[in-house]
Amino acid sequence: MIAENTPAVRLNDVTKTYGSHLAVNQLSLTVPKGSIYGFIGPNGSGKTTTIRMILHILLADSGSIEVLGREGTRAANDRIGYLPEERGLYKKMKVMSLLEYYGSLKGMKRSEARLEAQKWLDQLGLSDWSNKKIEALSKGMAQKIQFISTVIAQPELVILDEPFSGLDPVNLESIRTSIIQLRNQGATVIFSTHDMSMAEKMCDSIFMIYKGEKVLDGTLNDIQTEHGRNGIRLQTEGGAAALEGLPGIESLTDLGRFQEVSLSGDHNAFLAELLKKTRVLHFEETRPSLHDIFVRIANPQDEDTEDE
Amino acid sequence: MNKILSVAKAEYLIAVRSKAFIIGIILMPVLMGGGLLVQIFFGNQVDKADRKVAIVDRSGFLYPILEDVNATRETEVVFEEDENGVKRQVRPHFRLELFEESEDTSKTGITLSKRVRKGDLFAFLIIDEAILDPDQISDESDHTLAYHTKTPTFRELPNWLRNTIHQAVLTRRFENANLDRDLVRNLSKRVNLTSLGLVRVSEDGKVEKAKRDNELVTFGIPFACMMLIFLLIMMTTPSLLNQILEEKMQKISEVLVSSVTPFQLLMGKLIGIVLTALTLSVLYLSGVYAATLQFGVSDLIKPSTYALFFLFLIMALFIYGSIFSAIGAACSEIKDSQSLMTPAMFVVMIPFFCFGPIIQSPTSLFSTLVSLFPPATPTIMMMRVAMPPGPPLWEILLSIVLTAAFTIFSVAAAGKIFRIGILSQGQAPSFGKMIKWVMSK
Repeated sequence: MIAENTPAVRLNDVTKTYGSHLAVNQLSLTVPKGSIYGFIGPNGSGKTTTIRMILHILLADSGSIEVLGREGTRAANDRIGYLPEERGLYKKMKVMSLLEYYGSLKGMKRSEARLEAQKWLDQLGLSDWSNKKIEALSKGMAQKIQFISTVIAQPELVILDEPFSGLDPVNLESIRTSIIQLRNQGATVIFSTHDMSMAEKMCDSIFMIYKGEKVLDGTLNDIQTEHGRNGIRLQTEGGAAALEGLPGIESLTDLGRFQEVSLSGDHNAFLAELLKKTRVLHFEETRPSLHDIFVRIANPQDEDTEDE
Repeated sequence: MNKILSVAKAEYLIAVRSKAFIIGIILMPVLMGGGLLVQIFFGNQVDKADRKVAIVDRSGFLYPILEDVNATRETEVVFEEDENGVKRQVRPHFRLELFEESEDTSKTGITLSKRVRKGDLFAFLIIDEAILDPDQISDESDHTLAYHTKTPTFRELPNWLRNTIHQAVLTRRFENANLDRDLVRNLSKRVNLTSLGLVRVSEDGKVEKAKRDNELVTFGIPFACMMLIFLLIMMTTPSLLNQILEEKMQKISEVLVSSVTPFQLLMGKLIGIVLTALTLSVLYLSGVYAATLQFGVSDLIKPSTYALFFLFLIMALFIYGSIFSAIGAACSEIKDSQSLMTPAMFVVMIPFFCFGPIIQSPTSLFSTLVSLFPPATPTIMMMRVAMPPGPPLWEILLSIVLTAAFTIFSVAAAGKIFRIGILSQGQAPSFGKMIKWVMSK
């Protein structure tokens, strides 16, 4: 076991290039033990490369990587569970033998792996399928089996690359609950996702990589505060016309029944001015969603165009 | 190490439980015996349909003889008696028909051909009137016996006709020349040559007679050793390519390398196929050994031959297993693997291109060099070892050292290619690129 204050993963100035392509540039990152850490970023931004370097499947060109308190800990380390983004299972193998095999690759005894597998199959509602071949399973079921194979050896660090892709809402919910359960049992969970609402809901901290550079890192609250615009969403009897001439409005978007404004000054002073002109039905301070921040960072050109 | 064994165990169990393995067990002896088993099982399945043949006897004396011999054949050849005295037909009946020609002999061929086409006749034979005159039939394009059929592949009938008529004609020619046929036969007996080994002096000082050369020992065992190693390589190693490529295409390898290192995975797979091939070979060799004991010839194959067989087999499996694994890991699509597979198969086939000259002169420079070339050593050196008197000891030892070194090199190189290739996608591989991977740190 690692000491309480040692981070589960620490990257220091890590750089990786493929030929002339710079995949990850001077990345530093600390994932605290016992947290759920979300990796977000568009396709090809360096997420999987970062994950593979953490797992020691790929070697960094420079910088240092420390995993569970040790440098050079490889994927084969039995304390880590890894679910790759692109994953497959032996179609001809039976569910239980497959899980036993994966457990044994993680250093478990077959009998131990069997018990643990049975526990997970029960939890995820697949116990009736343990003697069926993988090819008989639906896509969602196969994905749950993959999840079980990742966590069967009770890893201290769980790294899930896109664990929710292709899952229906019911299966998605059961995987989500399982991830939370792992964290509650003391495991550190890193997962990458495109689903921003899932990241917002689940992650203690979020890390975003774009074109190999770290662009976001911190708690959702920190990120929203940092990237938040001073936005107000409001509804008045006077509509958009009532807002004309009021002080401090930097921009105004008329959504019809609602208007969104960004303000330079104090919200309350603005509200007082507005109340003098019309009756206010709705007044809400807005924070940008992770989705908005993601799109804003990943699509700067598009945003420029919109602003024009 | 435990992980390598876990992978090896899984691979081995998958392999020996597969249908291909069961089929392989049966298929191997079939291939080895060159269809011998097929002959044994299906040899009795002769087409016993009657063969009706018309004879145009222009010699005037042969038809009655043919009828006589055919009557003997009916009792001696066509039927066979089993232990209980029950008669059983084993060969087809030949139904002979004497065809009387009309004045115009030019129409004979047409008439009879029509009957063959209709299916009324199987064939017809025209016996030339000049058959007794040896001067007239010396010409190669001669048609003294013209056999016409639309089924020329059935050889039993024409062979029987030719042999029967040949004997009858010889007898008649000797009679005409007033010669005693038995005397002539006696005087023209062939001279024989017997192939023998060397003469030795036994322990009690007596000169032992040289043993008769045994074709089984001189050709059969060496060839079988080579074939067995070759077939075991072919049955197990190319499947590694497909299996690894499939794991890569279905993204299973990505999952595996998160639990084991690529090298552990490769070694596990290699050990898996070695175990599979050893299972097969132990099965076969026990059969061979039991057979030699049964027939009292167990000294035909020396224990050292068995030992060297297993040693060479294991090294060959590691070498070719590495080569095919590396190709599988380097490719992303089946069609890419085909083009890389061809040169690899060429190397596997080397013994087939060379075994003829090597059997002819096993101690020639060519034989020595080929058997010291590591990719070919397991098959070729094994063949030479099994061939009396066998190569000198230093050659065997040198070949083992060279092959062992090459085996280590192959596995290490394949490990490098495997490590990089297994996770790389979409790149069309080339030998140049693979060499670069091998050279990388």
